[in-house]
Amino acid sequence: MSASSDFAVEVEHLRKVYAKSKDQKPALDDLTLKIPKGRVYGLIGRNGAGKTTFVRIASTQLALTSGRLSVLGLDVKTQTREVRRRIACVPQESRPLYFLNTQEVVYLYLKMRGMEPVEARRRTRDALEELSLTEYRTKLVSRLSGGLRRRALCAMVLASDAEVLFLDEPTTGLDPLARREVWKAVRRTIREHRTIVLTTHYLDEAEALSTRLALIEKGQLRLEGSPEDLRARVRYPYRVTVQSPFPREELESYGRVAPIEGGFLVFAREADAREVARKGLERGLRVSLGPVSLEDIFLEVVGKSIEEDAPAEGLEEASA
Amino acid sequence: MSSRHRLRSLLTLVQINGIIPIRTQPLYILSLVASPLSFLFFIFIISKGALLAFGVTGGMILTMLSVGTGLQSDLTHYRHDLKFQDVVVASPVEAPIYVAGMALSELVYSLPGLAVFVVIYFLDGLATPLSIVVLTGTLLLVWGFACALGFTLATWFEDVRETFLFSPLISLALTVLPPVYYPLSYLPGWAQTAARFSPTTYAAQLVQGTVGLVPLSFNEAVIDWTVLGAFTVALFVIAAFKARWQEP
Repeated sequence: MSASSDFAVEVEHLRKVYAKSKDQKPALDDLTLKIPKGRVYGLIGRNGAGKTTFVRIASTQLALTSGRLSVLGLDVKTQTREVRRRIACVPQESRPLYFLNTQEVVYLYLKMRGMEPVEARRRTRDALEELSLTEYRTKLVSRLSGGLRRRALCAMVLASDAEVLFLDEPTTGLDPLARREVWKAVRRTIREHRTIVLTTHYLDEAEALSTRLALIEKGQLRLEGSPEDLRARVRYPYRVTVQSPFPREELESYGRVAPIEGGFLVFAREADAREVARKGLERGLRVSLGPVSLEDIFLEVVGKSIEEDAPAEGLEEASA
Repeated sequence: MSSRHRLRSLLTLVQINGIIPIRTQPLYILSLVASPLSFLFFIFIISKGALLAFGVTGGMILTMLSVGTGLQSDLTHYRHDLKFQDVVVASPVEAPIYVAGMALSELVYSLPGLAVFVVIYFLDGLATPLSIVVLTGTLLLVWGFACALGFTLATWFEDVRETFLFSPLISLALTVLPPVYYPLSYLPGWAQTAARFSPTTYAAQLVQGTVGLVPLSFNEAVIDWTVLGAFTVALFVIAAFKARWQEP
């Protein structure tokens, strides 16, 4: 791994076992991935999958057990100080200092990083404007809603000069409009050729922002690629919902069937999906047809993992 | 990070944790000075003013020790509740700058309270050129010791409520049981031996001796400086090794 790496983050056989873990079960196990520069890279997975552990190791808050991880070609274990100069992070469940006002949260963070006051002031103004926080700039954080506090934290790191930003569930608790303000700021950051590593439980957010995605389950990489790649790897890339009554046995000949309220959800190949939809319409039933969503893929992988603790059926595993 | 950037980081931390909270809530100052002033008040009333000097010198030491308990609470709160330390770790700010900035910011809190004692110290005629030098040096060492203790304890605490539990106990062990507000000779023999385990005993002896409240020979003063300095250095070494800037 050289300092002139083409990747923002490179991970090789990363393993983390927490010192306090009684059963010594790894939080991350043999994780290997490469995060390209200048993009948003989404990390998805259910609670406890290992996303935050990964972010904390990559942002130098947590020591790794074995393997290698480099940020911009710099090893997090041996070149920690150099890595820290080039990163910024919004940790999960972090909150801004409540006795500061919104403007101070951003401005003082930038100054603390060593930025010149004039530059810090300019960037603060721009970031507050970008995230629609200007009207709250003199308001104390303690008097802001939870959503506005999260936005202030996002403004803080997005305003920084860091080249790689780690955002660990930055939009949790934000309303849909506020989330889109953050998305806008994230997209602007990407235009500046910076890299964002984003963990989120909002799969629409992951899909809307990320050029590439990694699905982590039980500390292991289960799927990796662009949203289109992930869809292409699914054995059944289409989903059809069909209103009851429609014989389940008949549907099962087309693909995988799951009961839903008032009917069935069928995952099928394109031709079969169209056939099911046509038959449904011929019978005067309500049908909907479309490509599988990221959520479907997520549920497939994670659901199977829970059921069988084995590789998911219908999906090709990532060749990590 | 260049020296200029380091200095900017340090001063920004002082601004964040020392100046702005006082601006937002000035009652913080009163809260910090409440205990030392209460002791001073009781000592003054009960001794009819005769032991005022002990109240003043003891109050200064207690005020400096409060910096450590404040630091320990703030560091624990910032690390566990707000995740502020994680934000700082993932930035160019280095651990010594963070610690120094936080320690200085706590000193800012204590300055108004200390100023009250300094005024009484001058009004009571305790100030001499030698006592000013010894007092300043001793208080700086107590501040360093208190900060190292606060930082070390904060690395072990998992919850800010633990600091609420330990802070009064630490105050008791360092300022009430050791002879900070009275001469060491007032204690029975075994208690004098026990008090020798507290660095504040040496700090109090130095200050009380320099202003003429208790007899203090040159040799005793040298021992007091050495032991107080050794305590401070030892705690800094423990803090440096045990402090968890990056979680294991």
